[in-house]
Amino acid sequence: MSTDPNNLESLVNRRYEHGFVTDIEADSLPPGLDEGIVRAISAIKKEPEFMLEWRLKAYRHWLTMQEPEWAHVHYPQINYQDISYFSAPKSDSDRPKSLDEVDPKLLETYDKLGIPLHERARLAGVAVDAVFDSVSVATTFKEKLNDAGVIFCPFSEAVIKHPELIKKYLGSVVPHRDNFFAALNSAVFSDGSFVYIPKGVRCPMELSTYFRINAANTGQFERTLIIADEGSYVSYLEGCTAPMRDENQLHAAVVELVAMKDAEIKYSTVQNWYPGDEDGKGGIYNFVTKRGDCRGDNSKISWTQVETGSAITWKYPSCILRGENSVGEFYSVAVTNNMQQADTGTKMIHIGKNSSSTIVSKGISAGRAQQSYRGLVRVMPQAQGARNHTQCDSLLIGKECGAHTFPYMEVKNPSAKVEHEATTSRISENQLFYCRQRGISEEDAVNMIVNGFCKEVFKELPMEFAVEAQALLNVSLEGAVG
Amino acid sequence: MSATAINQDMLLAVVEAMPGDKLAEARRAAAFRFAELGFPTVGQEDWKYTNLSVAAELGNEWLDAYVANGGQESDSRTGNLIAAVQNRIDAYWIILRDGFVDSNLPDVDGIRVSRIAEQGHRPLEGADAMSVFNTALLRDGLYVRAEPGAVPDKPIGILIIDNPENAMSQTRVMIDSGENSHLRIVECCLSSEAGRQFTNSIFEADLADGATLDHVRIQNRDEAHVSVNKLSAKLRRDSNFNHNSFDLGGALTRNDVNAEITGEGASVNLNGLYLAAGDQHIDNHTSIVHGVGPSTSEEEYRGILSGRSRCVFNGKVIVSPGADGTDSRQSNHNLLLSDRAEIDTKPELEIYADDVKCAHGATVGQLDETALFYLRTRGLGLDHARRIITRAFAAGTLSTLAVAECHDYLADVLDQRLANLIDAKQ
Repeated sequence: MSTDPNNLESLVNRRYEHGFVTDIEADSLPPGLDEGIVRAISAIKKEPEFMLEWRLKAYRHWLTMQEPEWAHVHYPQINYQDISYFSAPKSDSDRPKSLDEVDPKLLETYDKLGIPLHERARLAGVAVDAVFDSVSVATTFKEKLNDAGVIFCPFSEAVIKHPELIKKYLGSVVPHRDNFFAALNSAVFSDGSFVYIPKGVRCPMELSTYFRINAANTGQFERTLIIADEGSYVSYLEGCTAPMRDENQLHAAVVELVAMKDAEIKYSTVQNWYPGDEDGKGGIYNFVTKRGDCRGDNSKISWTQVETGSAITWKYPSCILRGENSVGEFYSVAVTNNMQQADTGTKMIHIGKNSSSTIVSKGISAGRAQQSYRGLVRVMPQAQGARNHTQCDSLLIGKECGAHTFPYMEVKNPSAKVEHEATTSRISENQLFYCRQRGISEEDAVNMIVNGFCKEVFKELPMEFAVEAQALLNVSLEGAVG
Repeated sequence: MSATAINQDMLLAVVEAMPGDKLAEARRAAAFRFAELGFPTVGQEDWKYTNLSVAAELGNEWLDAYVANGGQESDSRTGNLIAAVQNRIDAYWIILRDGFVDSNLPDVDGIRVSRIAEQGHRPLEGADAMSVFNTALLRDGLYVRAEPGAVPDKPIGILIIDNPENAMSQTRVMIDSGENSHLRIVECCLSSEAGRQFTNSIFEADLADGATLDHVRIQNRDEAHVSVNKLSAKLRRDSNFNHNSFDLGGALTRNDVNAEITGEGASVNLNGLYLAAGDQHIDNHTSIVHGVGPSTSEEEYRGILSGRSRCVFNGKVIVSPGADGTDSRQSNHNLLLSDRAEIDTKPELEIYADDVKCAHGATVGQLDETALFYLRTRGLGLDHARRIITRAFAAGTLSTLAVAECHDYLADVLDQRLANLIDAKQ
């Protein structure tokens, strides 16, 4: 492949478009972590006693745990005492009731990101529970959801208003002792979203949250809990961009999904946090635990993710297919460029009879990036007739990048059908030549081929996300051709 | 200490007590190194599914026995075991009994065969715990060198027979394939009688430019036998390594096959078949490193599992930075015949170069219902139909056999084993 080196240079050196810091007074705790901090977070959030106990239990367990090292990523040791575990915009007690009351600076931030909150929310019919530095500041379309009986609110509000649901479901999918980062999150999580869809309700709109990391040196610890009761349906969208930072920021979120009988949850993510500069300086550490539990028969959980950001991604959205005929899906596009590292994949645990799962993972590695697909498909002895199909393809762009695949398959039932396919290749000269022959520039041709490569996943995304994802992909790969 | 621990003091004492032959120095160094390493545990990723506690137990038993009787091994009562194999496979046979070379060394044009304890050896390789353990307690081994251009008319047969009255044995075979030589080797691993025993074996091959090495390994040991087998091959420019492994017996079998391509144009072919019944545990770990390109590798492992058996497949292909032009294909297919069998498979790819073509695939399933139905509509009984499809699944590996001389013998052994497998299932 031949590309004008100067042109390539300029594209590679493109700065992160979404890098800016909004200057809002933040109410932060001093850096460091001990029981006092955990108690302080709980006190600031005016949480009931049971939450504090749960946090402390998690914190004490976390102290006994070792940071995992098995992932195919490298980063300097994190000092957990250097991180400030809480930061909230000032007006915590006096939350804005409508968009008009929202800090105009905040709205400006969203405008800069190209996400006009009010317009977009109205036009697209999307309720946005915008999480800005750990505390939710704006919630729209509340009424419409209220009418349907859907509960969609900040996590801290749910803890106070719906303690019975929190008690019942919190930690039931990702227990506080699950893994190092999940335990840390359980101890210090600041806020997040809570969704409850009652029996038989089809959520009238797509729910969406924008996560942003804003104040410097603040690890963001989100907690999301979505419960779809019998026969309900919800589609949840999560998207994130973050301002430019030189110091690495730790993000250890936990997402728990519960799907009861005949329920369906569709969870889509577009992740575009600051990936660090060309030399790997800065960038977000994204260590996320996401898991869905198909608790009832005929339930379905579908994960779709487009991962283009973060310096390091460590993320395995999983499904526990407990119910009979339950369905788990995982569609992923991961793009790593420059010095980014990603170790991502999924786990499908088949327990219920005739449960089925589909995994489609598309990895694109460019520059000096390293990317791994790590997946587990486990069929338990009782999972009669379980079915899995896994396809993971990698596209390599450049001489110095890497693409790795670590698929684990553990099958304990003979009637199970498990298939795994993987290919790794680079963009073929023939395809490029064909496009260029027809007058398409090399850059456009590569974009087109890459978009085609990812099509299977993009078609799973909600429409407005699919558009954004395609644009994001083009931006992420600009300058990587060669 | 964990359950899988070798008594280190005893080990050092035994190594000191061993004869002062040409291996003595290497043994002593390895014993000290092993004291730091110890046996692998299930906590290590590569040993996640395979527990070596029994092997360590048998190792300690052997060390005790060595101290008690001064290293005297009970001789294998091989009876007509040897003839049964030798009459079926036409080859130049060498017998390795309980880790000792126990036959006249064949005289073949262009081939030099020697005992390493007597004649010396090239440096013993392997830095992993089991290789180091092998070196520490190695009593003798076989060295085969093919002179440049040598193409023997018949394959070299290596018959490895262990007697379970000795709790443990270490075997080692070292191959040097000279430039443009073409060596064919059949390795047959058998037990002289029933009983528990641990064999730790190593097969090392070094292929010079343009050399071809065909290697077939047939393991049909006693059902209580425990073995850890390491095979490593280093390939230089335009060399070819073709390997077939057949794992039929043993209680616990662990195979590590490592091929390293260090020269352009080299190719590696790995084919494996494992048949497991009862409580058998068969673990195949393979690793192919494409150090340079263009080079090719092809790998296919098939398994049939019944009873409460458990099989593990971990295939790794690593394409090093700059190994452009690598073409690699890998697949693992498994047939589960019983409700309680378990397969853990993991085909891995680690790719650090971009001009490559790599694919891997894995499947797990049971007999195809429609295929069964098809045969039954043609008047075959269910049992008969099952046998035909199962055999067809296994027979694919016979068609890629690197050493044709062992085809008939293998086909018979396989059929016998398959019949057991299918019957045991009901």
